[in-house]
Amino acid sequence: MTPELVDIRPLLAVLVSLACAGAVFAVRHRARWRAFWSLAAAGIKFALVWSMLPGALAGRVYVYQFGELLPGVAFGFRVDALGLFFALVSSTLWVLTTIYALGYMRGSHSLHRFFGFFALCISTTVGIAFAENLLTLFVFYELLTICTYPLIMHNEDLAARRAARKYLVYTLFGGGLILAGMVLLHSVTGTLSLAETGILDASVGDHWLLAIFLLLIAGFGVKAALMPLHAWLPAAMVAPTPVSALLHAVAVVKAGVFGILRTIYNVFGIDLLRDLGYADWLAMLAGVIMVVASVQALRQKEIKARLAWSTISQLSYIVLAAALLTPLAALAAIIHIANQAFSKITLFFVAGAIERGTGRKRVDELAGVGRLMPWTMAAFTLASLSFIGVPLMAGFVTKWYLSLGALDAGAGIYVAVMVISGLLNAAYWLPMIHQAFFKPLPSEPGNDLRNRPRVSSMMIGPILVCAAYVILLGAGASAPSMPFSLAEAAARFAFELEVPLE
Amino acid sequence: MIEWSHWLPILAMLPLVGGALTPLLFRHRPAAACFWAVSVASVTSVVAIALLLRLVDSGGFSYAVGGWLPQYGIELRMDEVGAFAVPASLLVLLSLVFSRHYVARAVDASRVSFYYALVLINLGGLNGFLVTGDLFNLFVFMEIFSVSAYALVATAREPIASLAALKYLLLGAASSLLVLFSVGVVFAMTGTLNLEDAAAALALSSPMPAGLALAGLATGFAVKAALFPVHFWLPDAHAAAPAPVSAVLSALVVKAGIVGVLRTLELFGGAESLLQPLLHLVVWLGALGALGGALMALVQRDIKLMLAYSTVANIGYIFIGLGLATASAVSGAMVHAVNHAVIKSALFLAAGAMIHRTGLRNIDDLRGLGRRMPVTAFGMAFTLIALSGAPPMAGFTGKWQIALGALQAGHPSLVAVLVIAGIVVLAFGIRVINALYFRPPARVAVASATEAPASMWLPVLMLTIASLALGLAGTPMLEFVGPAAQSIYGTLP
Amino acid sequence: MSGASSLSLLALLAVLVPITGGLLVFTAGRWNHRAAGLAVVGVVSLGSFAIVIVMTIAMAWQASHGLQAESVLFTLVPPIDIALRVDAMGALFAATIAALVPLALAHAVGYLPDDARQWKFHGFVLVSLGCMTGVALSANLVTLLLFYELFSLLAWPLIVHERTPEAFRAGVKYLVYILSGGGMVFAGVALVYWLADSAQFMPGGLLSHSMLDELPRGGLIAACCLLLAGFGVKAALMPLHGWVPDAHPAAPAPFSAVLSGVMVAVGVFAILRVLLEIFGPALLVELGVLPWLAGFAGVAVVAAAILAVAEDDLKRRLAYSTISQMAYVSLAVTLLDPTALAGALAHITHHAFFKGGLFFCAGSILALTGLRKISRMRGLGRRMPWTAGTLTLLALAMMGIPPLSGFVGKWTLGSGMAQAGGFGHLAVILLGSLLAAVYLWPVIYRIWQRPEDGDPMQDGPSADVGRERRRWMLFAVLAAGCITIALGVAAGLPGFPLELARLAADQLLGVSAWK
Repeated sequence: MTPELVDIRPLLAVLVSLACAGAVFAVRHRARWRAFWSLAAAGIKFALVWSMLPGALAGRVYVYQFGELLPGVAFGFRVDALGLFFALVSSTLWVLTTIYALGYMRGSHSLHRFFGFFALCISTTVGIAFAENLLTLFVFYELLTICTYPLIMHNEDLAARRAARKYLVYTLFGGGLILAGMVLLHSVTGTLSLAETGILDASVGDHWLLAIFLLLIAGFGVKAALMPLHAWLPAAMVAPTPVSALLHAVAVVKAGVFGILRTIYNVFGIDLLRDLGYADWLAMLAGVIMVVASVQALRQKEIKARLAWSTISQLSYIVLAAALLTPLAALAAIIHIANQAFSKITLFFVAGAIERGTGRKRVDELAGVGRLMPWTMAAFTLASLSFIGVPLMAGFVTKWYLSLGALDAGAGIYVAVMVISGLLNAAYWLPMIHQAFFKPLPSEPGNDLRNRPRVSSMMIGPILVCAAYVILLGAGASAPSMPFSLAEAAARFAFELEVPLE
Repeated sequence: MIEWSHWLPILAMLPLVGGALTPLLFRHRPAAACFWAVSVASVTSVVAIALLLRLVDSGGFSYAVGGWLPQYGIELRMDEVGAFAVPASLLVLLSLVFSRHYVARAVDASRVSFYYALVLINLGGLNGFLVTGDLFNLFVFMEIFSVSAYALVATAREPIASLAALKYLLLGAASSLLVLFSVGVVFAMTGTLNLEDAAAALALSSPMPAGLALAGLATGFAVKAALFPVHFWLPDAHAAAPAPVSAVLSALVVKAGIVGVLRTLELFGGAESLLQPLLHLVVWLGALGALGGALMALVQRDIKLMLAYSTVANIGYIFIGLGLATASAVSGAMVHAVNHAVIKSALFLAAGAMIHRTGLRNIDDLRGLGRRMPVTAFGMAFTLIALSGAPPMAGFTGKWQIALGALQAGHPSLVAVLVIAGIVVLAFGIRVINALYFRPPARVAVASATEAPASMWLPVLMLTIASLALGLAGTPMLEFVGPAAQSIYGTLP
Repeated sequence: MSGASSLSLLALLAVLVPITGGLLVFTAGRWNHRAAGLAVVGVVSLGSFAIVIVMTIAMAWQASHGLQAESVLFTLVPPIDIALRVDAMGALFAATIAALVPLALAHAVGYLPDDARQWKFHGFVLVSLGCMTGVALSANLVTLLLFYELFSLLAWPLIVHERTPEAFRAGVKYLVYILSGGGMVFAGVALVYWLADSAQFMPGGLLSHSMLDELPRGGLIAACCLLLAGFGVKAALMPLHGWVPDAHPAAPAPFSAVLSGVMVAVGVFAILRVLLEIFGPALLVELGVLPWLAGFAGVAVVAAAILAVAEDDLKRRLAYSTISQMAYVSLAVTLLDPTALAGALAHITHHAFFKGGLFFCAGSILALTGLRKISRMRGLGRRMPWTAGTLTLLALAMMGIPPLSGFVGKWTLGSGMAQAGGFGHLAVILLGSLLAAVYLWPVIYRIWQRPEDGDPMQDGPSADVGRERRRWMLFAVLAAGCITIALGVAAGLPGFPLELARLAADQLLGVSAWK
């Protein structure tokens, strides 16, 4: 049994962002204070979450309980390896995204609202990560829906309203499914704990199990943009870039994926799912999505739309890996949360920087941008190579363990699917790099890009840090106190293995 | 050692007497009338809280008026259902505070003292209704709060108010007649009007006249509680009344109908063969009400009308819970009655503050108000989300318990109903939030509006906080009503 | 410092020096100082060469003392380390790369216009030099995969360096082929690791060391086919060669030289590593894949040579010839004979220099006269005597005329085949050499012909065109010629490629090559 320690840090980590939101709302239009509070809270949260890493690596589990929200269902936090991994990713990216957003959003309207809800989003994300049971997770999950809504709406024009409405309709529907699944689950098991490796067992009866599985997976699948529940994601691209980055890389989609992982590893448990065979279908679905979404991405002409479809494809890597039900695939699923996050956020940051620096939003307008913004485009190149799965970049690590996991599961076909998906990734990223670096700047009279507005260094800095992380995650897996070992611990817990994975 | 039971009559009599005195004492001094009414309501609240503490401390107790013992005399008793007097008194108190500035504009100056009098009398009627242990007094107090409610609806300046009040009056009177008739039947069958004694007698009686009485009582109280399909008086009445009255009506008066239903169940607890079909019917009517009310709310343009329809939906939830007759569903329904009261009065008061400041009640006209009236708008946004049943706010506890109960009773489809209704509620909530925060002002009245006075936003804010606090206090509340649920239904699965 | 650790340090330097140097050169465009840029390029490339040579000597010394050393860089996918190891085959290959690349860079100094973009070329070539050295010195499959993918991608900007529409088309084609191949390699590597729980290169074969009976035969064959096909794309193994004839003419000539001389060879090298050190001779025989490989390679030798005959563009003809020549190596390895293997390895090195030199010549001709078509090269010999003379010499070497280097490789290779009884193989090699003569002789003949009316090289107003004024190019051409002679004449001396190749065959097959 893992030693559980009562610790206030999980609570503080959630509260820091909450307090930050309050402070940001309170200072209203004083930009300096807004920046100060946002950065201070991001920094404190970062330190708090990372300070739990050594303990977690040593096998400790931090808990903090408030008491019961409902009979038999407590409201509390429990920091296990999987949750801490997710929290590490989001708190790290919050720091970077905050800095980037301060640069990107300069001069926009309603900034206190923007940064306030931004902080709330991260607060709820960490709440999801640390949730001790499904109900606590659901609380933060729904709050996240609500807190992201003003961010998508930020531009307050027709397109933003439409997208936000679509987002809400989808996510509320998903939330409803989760709630229904959760009620079913509680009524058959009497618990919603996420501390076990499976709270269900076969005695519950097949049709109940199937209903719970479908409800929870479809419910979380909405935010995880699992096709065919994905349509909100490309639409939500109207939001400001830092929000898209947050939606795609950190908070929203990862919350969905995290929910799916929790469903598979902690609610059903590996053994039960293996007996039931539902996961095979899920894996098949994920495999199809991987390819179909990539083909869709190939057809997009807007940079951000392409990024959105690529996200859908990448998320299905995680779902596939989780559904394969082998230890190495689980490792791939967990580690890909970080890998996809850092790679994708780099791309989003770059897309935003290009938009700010040159006003270009379309793939075919990128000609010569590499000349104007060499560092930015270099970062873009690294991140896209990561998605293609070139060794040394983060994406390769996923691809490798996912392949081994698929072979372990006797499903070698997924290796082929992944290779194809990698090629499709190459087919839509490399032309952009080609445009940016090898095509000359078009010389349009009256539109001299050489006199373009300078891109703030507050945007370039996070881009470079994220790109460095992409390499660090790809090449530094064995370095001491890297999240990799945490992911491994989480995978081991799910499979109840004592020895390190291979 | 004070004999606690002596305090029980104060709960009803103080507001009744205080209300009756108001027009006499403060006919031409509305400010003083308000202060008087608030004082009376405060004292009543303190008494209610003291009685609640006593109840928690050492269980239920009763008081025989004039020393006449039950079976012949009038019995008052404090039990878990009667404890609803605490939220009732507090909510009326807050509504009265809110009224201070509100009535100046919404009610004719000459009627202000009558307005306060009616609110107090309404409270007295409600409290009496809650603590009475006797069927006939149940009817009497019901008439007190009903009649005062009709009159309160009519105090509004809105042209539609008198029509709405008339509609309310006609249906209310019909339902009162049904109740009176059934009380007569029960008395004829058992020879007693005391609830406990009558219940004991009815358990042994023949089904036919008892069934008639049950149907009459249930229908009568269902009209008061606005159960679908006898709900149609409610939207107009609640929308037309002055906002604090709407709050009291939606939060408390319809709940009194539910308490009436609970008392009826208590009365017929022994006659299970009669109860079962009724409960079944109630579940499905409740489900229809929940869905229909939520959908109707979604298409409303008038903010108060929207809130009124959402009341129909929430009454539907509560009836689902009552009808399911499992421990978790019934206790969930009872807790939801309290939580909904808090949430809905916050919403009505917030809407009232907005209407007070802008004179506008169409949701589209209220665009952009979020920045002009930050506290009020925040209260409305927050409680709308709470209303949808998002955990950990107050709306969640009851729905969760009812959903669990539905599964225990083998009705998974009801879970779908609850979930869908919740989503619809959230959808119209988001519509309002959208208008308040993300749209530019479309009306001059909005652009020039400022935050409401503290007497308005403070009650809103307190209720907003309460709607979170009650959500976090779900477990103690459920534990508190648990025994009551068990005793009303005999034994629950 | 012990011998083993100093060797691993050298291996590390051999990879990292050109990579960091290359990254440094990228920024040279900002220095605004050509001499400084060239100095850095020179120091880095020659320094890498020196490091590799010292490393090779140290390796030879250690091999005679039976030492092994491995240096771990970092970990990509635990528990597999990214690690370097120096053995004879790797050292020979690293030395070949490290020697050819400086020549190509020297040629590029003359070939490329003097603008800011030339530094990108130099930078990319240096970084790929480091990555190719990494491939040569990889201690396991994952390390090989890492460097292989990196330098494959790095070749792309070099192929499209000219920014012409043809170059872009060739670049796309290259990427499609190479990335598809990379995908197969990835799948193959994953499969091998899954089967063996290790990806370490081992003399005699990693998989032969595991419990053979427990491994699924289908999985083994699948892994073998995936790896062969994946690397085969790079090695231009027919029918996976489609990118080669397009990429070579499109790329700048000095890079075509690197491409043909060593990059294609990297694919072949990887195939050798996989066949001999992952599967191992015993398992290969058991699986029965060798005859198939021999069949494909044999067809490639002949078919590519025939296609070369039909080609009028000099660089395309040379590109087809590369396909044909590299197929010799694949063909030779299928016999698993130490002598044939040693010959094949030596042939890789020899081919690098004569084919690189030929591309240098073609580049010089293109840069100075603008000529691509062989049919229009009449009279070139008189205008560019040194270049034309070297071209003749190198063509003769490729045909296998003694005592030039081409002969040494083919002779050893052929004698090995004869010893192992592979007479069919031998016949294919002979036919290939014959065809080489058929497609190269017209080139020699044409450039030494007297120009006729209408020929670009006819004396007249343009008499100044084609004078060999760019010294850097000429230097590279002549150096390649000299090396080819030296490798042929002094082939038997210790320390020369043939000797190293013999040591390598010895280490790989565990049997001594001839004598």
